[in-house]
Amino acid sequence: MNRTEPERLDALRVALGDPAEADNPVGNAAALAVDERGEAFVAGERLLDAFGFPAEFVPAHLGGRLTRLDHMIHIARTVGRRDLALAFGYSGSTFIASTNVWTAGSPAQQRAVADLVLGGGRVAAGYHELAHGNDVARAELSARRAGDTLVLDGRKEVISNLARADLLVLYARTGTPLGPRSHSLLLVDLTAATGDTALRLLPRFRSAGMRSVQLGGIEFDGYRLPAGHVLGRFGDGVLTATRAFQVTRTALPAIACAGLDGALREAMSLATSRHLGRGVIADLPQVRRLLVDAFVDLLVCDAFTTVGARALHLLPQQTTIVSSAIKYLVPHLLLRAVRSLSTLLGSTFYVRNGRHGMFQKHLRDLAPAGFGHMAPKASLAMLVPQMQQLVRRGWSTPEPADPLLFRLSHDLPDLRYHQLAMSSNGRDALGGTLLAESDAILAAAAGDAELRRVIGAHLADFAALRRTVADLPAGRNGPLPASSYDLADRYSRLLAASACIGVWRGSDGRSFLGSPQWLTAALSRLTVQYRPGRDVDQRTASLWPELHSRHVAMRTFDLAEHAA
Amino acid sequence: MSIAYGPVRRAKDWDALLGDPDDPDVLFSYPRCLRLDDTEAFPDDICAHLDELGLPAYYVPVAHGGLLGNFDDAATMVRLIARRDLTVAIAHFKTFLGAAPVWVAGTTTQADDLAATVLAGHPIALGLTERGIGSDLLATRTVAEPGDEPGSLTITGEKWLINNGRRATVVTTLVRTSPNAGPRALSLLLVDRRLAGSGGMTGTAKIPTHGIRGADISGVRYAGAGVGPAGVVGGIGRGVDTLLRALQVTRIATTPLSLGAADQALRLGYDFCADRELYGGRLVDLPVVRRSLGRAAAALFVAEAAVLLGCRAINALPEELSVVAAVVKAFVPSVVDDLIHDVGELLGARAFLLDVLHGGRFQKVERDHRIVGIFDGSTAVNQNYLAGQFSRLGRRYRQRRLNRDGVAVAADLARPLPPLELHRLDVLSPNGCSVVQALPDLLADPVIVRTVPAALLAVLGDAVTELHDELAGWRVTGGALPAIAFDLARRYELCFASASCLLLWRYNYEHVTTELWHEAEWLLCALTLLAEWLGAEPDGAADDLFIRLGGRRPEPGWGPPMSIFPATLADLR
Repeated sequence: MNRTEPERLDALRVALGDPAEADNPVGNAAALAVDERGEAFVAGERLLDAFGFPAEFVPAHLGGRLTRLDHMIHIARTVGRRDLALAFGYSGSTFIASTNVWTAGSPAQQRAVADLVLGGGRVAAGYHELAHGNDVARAELSARRAGDTLVLDGRKEVISNLARADLLVLYARTGTPLGPRSHSLLLVDLTAATGDTALRLLPRFRSAGMRSVQLGGIEFDGYRLPAGHVLGRFGDGVLTATRAFQVTRTALPAIACAGLDGALREAMSLATSRHLGRGVIADLPQVRRLLVDAFVDLLVCDAFTTVGARALHLLPQQTTIVSSAIKYLVPHLLLRAVRSLSTLLGSTFYVRNGRHGMFQKHLRDLAPAGFGHMAPKASLAMLVPQMQQLVRRGWSTPEPADPLLFRLSHDLPDLRYHQLAMSSNGRDALGGTLLAESDAILAAAAGDAELRRVIGAHLADFAALRRTVADLPAGRNGPLPASSYDLADRYSRLLAASACIGVWRGSDGRSFLGSPQWLTAALSRLTVQYRPGRDVDQRTASLWPELHSRHVAMRTFDLAEHAA
Repeated sequence: MSIAYGPVRRAKDWDALLGDPDDPDVLFSYPRCLRLDDTEAFPDDICAHLDELGLPAYYVPVAHGGLLGNFDDAATMVRLIARRDLTVAIAHFKTFLGAAPVWVAGTTTQADDLAATVLAGHPIALGLTERGIGSDLLATRTVAEPGDEPGSLTITGEKWLINNGRRATVVTTLVRTSPNAGPRALSLLLVDRRLAGSGGMTGTAKIPTHGIRGADISGVRYAGAGVGPAGVVGGIGRGVDTLLRALQVTRIATTPLSLGAADQALRLGYDFCADRELYGGRLVDLPVVRRSLGRAAAALFVAEAAVLLGCRAINALPEELSVVAAVVKAFVPSVVDDLIHDVGELLGARAFLLDVLHGGRFQKVERDHRIVGIFDGSTAVNQNYLAGQFSRLGRRYRQRRLNRDGVAVAADLARPLPPLELHRLDVLSPNGCSVVQALPDLLADPVIVRTVPAALLAVLGDAVTELHDELAGWRVTGGALPAIAFDLARRYELCFASASCLLLWRYNYEHVTTELWHEAEWLLCALTLLAEWLGAEPDGAADDLFIRLGGRRPEPGWGPPMSIFPATLADLR
């Protein structure tokens, strides 16, 4: 019998021990030491092996523990709050690669990969080529049919865990001309390939953040792969990637929230202990404000990613939109928040060792988390054509989302990978909720004039956005105008605002998440041209007690408020 | 007619002396600096080379035998070194920061002696901070007590996070000379390692840092180090007062470091986007990418204008430096941190890979530059200082108080600067800030009204008025500053930057004829960005401006610094 999510969270937290304890083999001192040396965090990985961490992203029907993505995210955050590089370095590649298998693999392929992962094996995700970056549609590595084999030529670069993976999910060009069916996903058994001279591992890529993550590369020179080693159907590479990435582009930013949670704890710890005059620096209103702003940003990012994760279960045909918006906005907000906290730490931020040395590591580790796996502008570009469909369909006759989307403690149906789609086809229940239920939302905020004002501002922005998008020329030649990206940015913020409002409405009115204070702050910070006014000190004062009590009680700063 | 703007020409000479930075056989090259960073090794030979070339002379005022007559020249040098490597620039330039209190408040003998030490290539450090007290200098614990010799002092304690703490020959040290609370309990002492007595003063372990990894960031331990009467700078109990004045100069003088960093980052961005094939075309051909480059370039120009006005104000408006320094030091490093971050978004994976794209230089400049907004008074410290003068700034603005000639001299590059008079610095500025107070005149100036769209001028005008209404009504009710004060400070910085852009353009546009000055291109880009930062709705029409600017790729390879002012300016002389 599998343990429940709270039981697993507790077990993992207890196993990780007190991070501040100097001789904790998986504590801060150890994490900083492996970061300095750029080595894999062996002690941390052994602990995760013992916990059976990889089972968290193997679906339950294949023998794993994955029933709800939001639960998997919570478990991964427990690691990521300590060390984001451990969380991603240990199994990020396996998560991405195996998600492709759950999405497109045959039952036999799924079984085999599930067994491999549950047995402690690693899978690498071979998508990236430095020359093409996010433009996977032009990836060059080729696989040419020759009888009953595929002949592989070309290279993949900056691939996490490649050198120690058992299996490589490889994205290859298998057809001409270039188009939606010109690529396929292949399964390359790296253990069988040992000693084959037609395949060569490239030297490791070193990085400024996530230094313990082993980024490698591989070069094929006429390597022969049995033709049956195609994942899903031949020519389905783009389709599978587009579908599977909706899961990973939601889950990885969701896990990255842990980096801000960890950084905020460091900042709180410094601010409440560093003396200034007769008090501490956390007594300064500006310091409190920076801390509270980061807290609010974390709540926003968590609301957006958690609702996004739930949408994958509840609305799998619509998640191309929300996953792209999350991939754009959440890393941006997380990194902005940690950069802002770094100014509060002053020179302490700049020191790589000592009591607060973890802070700079959190900052360095978050940057790759944001840029990896599709850059922000590419994410925005994906939204523009979808918005043009929405203006004709989902926005003109909006349908609200199933309220379960926002009731975070409510159970979810299994994730149906096969229902993930190439496009949302003009449907958007998350944005639609904002449009269809605007009256009910404003009524729920009736008691708070400031909240009503800021909700009204978002509704007005949505109306203006719809008009602007409606006026965009239908067909286009050449690259998107720069202003289209601004529209996609605004749309992403509206979706995040809708997620926050949904979480607020879906929670118990007496709880913190049901209070107007956090929502008002969250929505204010989501406006495009956020300009703090006279109310900034008042707002800070209204949220500081919650932040402070969570810090003192060692509880996480995200929505779930777990023991930290 | 052309402008006799010397710094640019001198910069070209120095660049030629230092050699091609992409050539790994050149001593002061990118590949060598990357290797030093990787191994956390101090750039000894590069600093020695800069000493041989005579760079320290720019840290010593003309009156004491050096070349420091104005900060146009010194700033250009700093910028030039910084765009090769920030570690080297920060390590070498630190000597100026250590010596500045003596130029400001020392006796002639002290200054002449220290000048000889600097000119001989000895590093000078500034020992202010201690472990666990952050920016709170009044909590200084290092103590100086009367020594055996009459008038001598003996120092006990430890300074921490000191740039060149292990290497410096002289450490200008802030010590407690009275047990009382308050600023009068602190004094500044020149502690000379050669005289301090064996073991009396030792460097402590190198501290591993996020950026400038090769620099000597360490500490100094004093165990009975002795200082004679000649080592007291500005008098016993005058430490904080002296520092507040010296920091005005050093805070401005460090901001060109940011321009050098911005130059590096932006050039990497242009190179990458111009050479990169993506989505069937070059990255730079995507309007959104070109706009990002243009916005980053405009941000650099905004920062440059503020730095230039700030540097020239040291000679032209010395009484007002308490405001100018706080504004420029708070503003410029923040703008450039954001600029670097934005360029990083264009680079994708190459923003954090160590060995890819010019050897991974981007991630280094990003890490290195973060220290500029922290040292020598962080952004928050400067904004706090500025807030202390809010109500006077509000009143002076309403009174239209203006040192008209000082502003003109600061803005007009063709006018020679008056001599450097560091003793005229004051801890508060009775006149407010003439640069900002010139804004009403500038916004109504016929040439500017003819050049800048009315809507843009109106946005700026409203923002300036609104801010000064708030400042004039500013009352401190006691206790810590409310958070809103920091937002007002930021808006004040934006007003200063707007005024700097307008002044530089207005006083020089007739003499500069390069593309950037044609139809005031750089000015319109800069003001549009500033208006946006002041809270104006983004103007879609401005996209075309930024896209055009983003299309102006600097000369590939090792060109002149990215600047409003063309390198050919000096050739026009």
